[in-house]
Amino acid sequence: MNDQELDQVLDSWEAPAPPRSLREGLRARFPRTERRGVARPLRWVLAVAAVSATLALGMEKTGASPWDFRIGQTLQGWYDAFMTGVELHHAAYNVEMVRNSDPKVYIDGKLAGTLEFKHATRMDVDVPGEGVYSLILVHGVKGFAESGTIHDNVIEFHAGSRQVRIECNQKIVHSERPVFVRVRP
Amino acid sequence: MSKGPEQDLRDARSGREAAFLKIFDDHHLPLYRFAWRLTGSAADAEDIVQECFLALLRPGCGFDPGRTSLRTYLFGAVRNQALNQLRRREQGIERESFDRRTPETETLRDEMAGAVAAAIAELPESQREVLLLAHYEQLSLAEIADITQLEVTAVKSRLQRARANLRETLAAYAPRTERTI
Repeated sequence: MNDQELDQVLDSWEAPAPPRSLREGLRARFPRTERRGVARPLRWVLAVAAVSATLALGMEKTGASPWDFRIGQTLQGWYDAFMTGVELHHAAYNVEMVRNSDPKVYIDGKLAGTLEFKHATRMDVDVPGEGVYSLILVHGVKGFAESGTIHDNVIEFHAGSRQVRIECNQKIVHSERPVFVRVRP
Repeated sequence: MSKGPEQDLRDARSGREAAFLKIFDDHHLPLYRFAWRLTGSAADAEDIVQECFLALLRPGCGFDPGRTSLRTYLFGAVRNQALNQLRRREQGIERESFDRRTPETETLRDEMAGAVAAAIAELPESQREVLLLAHYEQLSLAEIADITQLEVTAVKSRLQRARANLRETLAAYAPRTERTI
C-alpha cells in the first residue's frame, strides 16, 4: 500500500459533527459578571432614588414645591407634552372609528344634518339654523368648551337650544368621556 | 472587521460572551474531531473541548500569544485533557478496543472505517496523537512539535512509524487500483 492508498483508507474514518449541546453547554457555563443581569437596572434605580432624595432634601430645606425647581419644571413640561401627544393620538383614533362606523346625525330626535371629517382629531356638524359645530375629544384646546359626552356608540351635545345626537354602528369608547365643542356661525 | 484572537480573548475575559463564542466558533471543529478520535467518545470529547475553552478565561491560563498561536495552544490543551482522560479510564477499567468502546463507534459507516479506528487505537499513544494531528487535522510538523513538545525530527519519526504500522495493519483494505504490467 503506497502513501496515497493509505491516506484513502484513513479518510474512511470520519468524525461526527459536534453536538449542539457543545456550544449551548459552553454558553451556559460562561461566567457572567453581575453587571450583565441585575446590576445595570439596579444602577438606574439607585440613580433615580438618589436624584429623588436630593430633590426632597432640597425642598424640605427651602420649603419650596418641587416645581419651583428648574429640573421639576422641565420634567413637568416633558410630561405634559407626552400626555398631550398620547391624548391627541387617542382622539384621532376615535375620530377615525366614528368615520368608519356609518355615523348618523339626529337633531332633536330627527335624522338631519351632516358630519364632515376635515381634520384628524376634529368632526364638523352642520346644524341647520345654528351654524357649524366643531367637535373634539381632547380637553384644553383654545376656543372649545365642554358641551356633551361620548359613550358607547353615541356622541351627544347641545347646539344652542337644540340637542344633537350622533349614532355609530359600532362602539367607539368603553367609558363615558367629555366632548368639546366650538361653534362657527 | 475582525479584531484578532488576542483582542477577542481579552474581551471574553472581561465578560463579553459574543467574543468568547467567536473564539469557540473559529476553533471548535478540529478540536472536537481531535478529542473524539483520541478518546473514542463523543461525551468525553464534548467535556474536554468545553473545559479547554473555559480554561482560557481563568486567571491561571497559560496561553501566551507571544509564544504560540491560540490554535496550537488549544490543540495542546485538548491533547493533555484527552490523555488524562485515557489514563483515568485505564486505571478504572481494562481498556476496550476502539471499535467496541463507545456507542458512537457502532455507527461508523462501514467495516473499513471501523478497522481504521481500531488500528489507530492500537497505535502507541505517542504515534497516535501525531498521526491524528498530521493526517486528520493537517497540522504542520512544526505545529505538532509545539503541541506535543517534541523536536520536529521526533515528530517526523513517530509519524513515519505510525504510518508504517497502519500500512501493515490495514493492508487488506488497500484500494484496488488498476496497475499496468
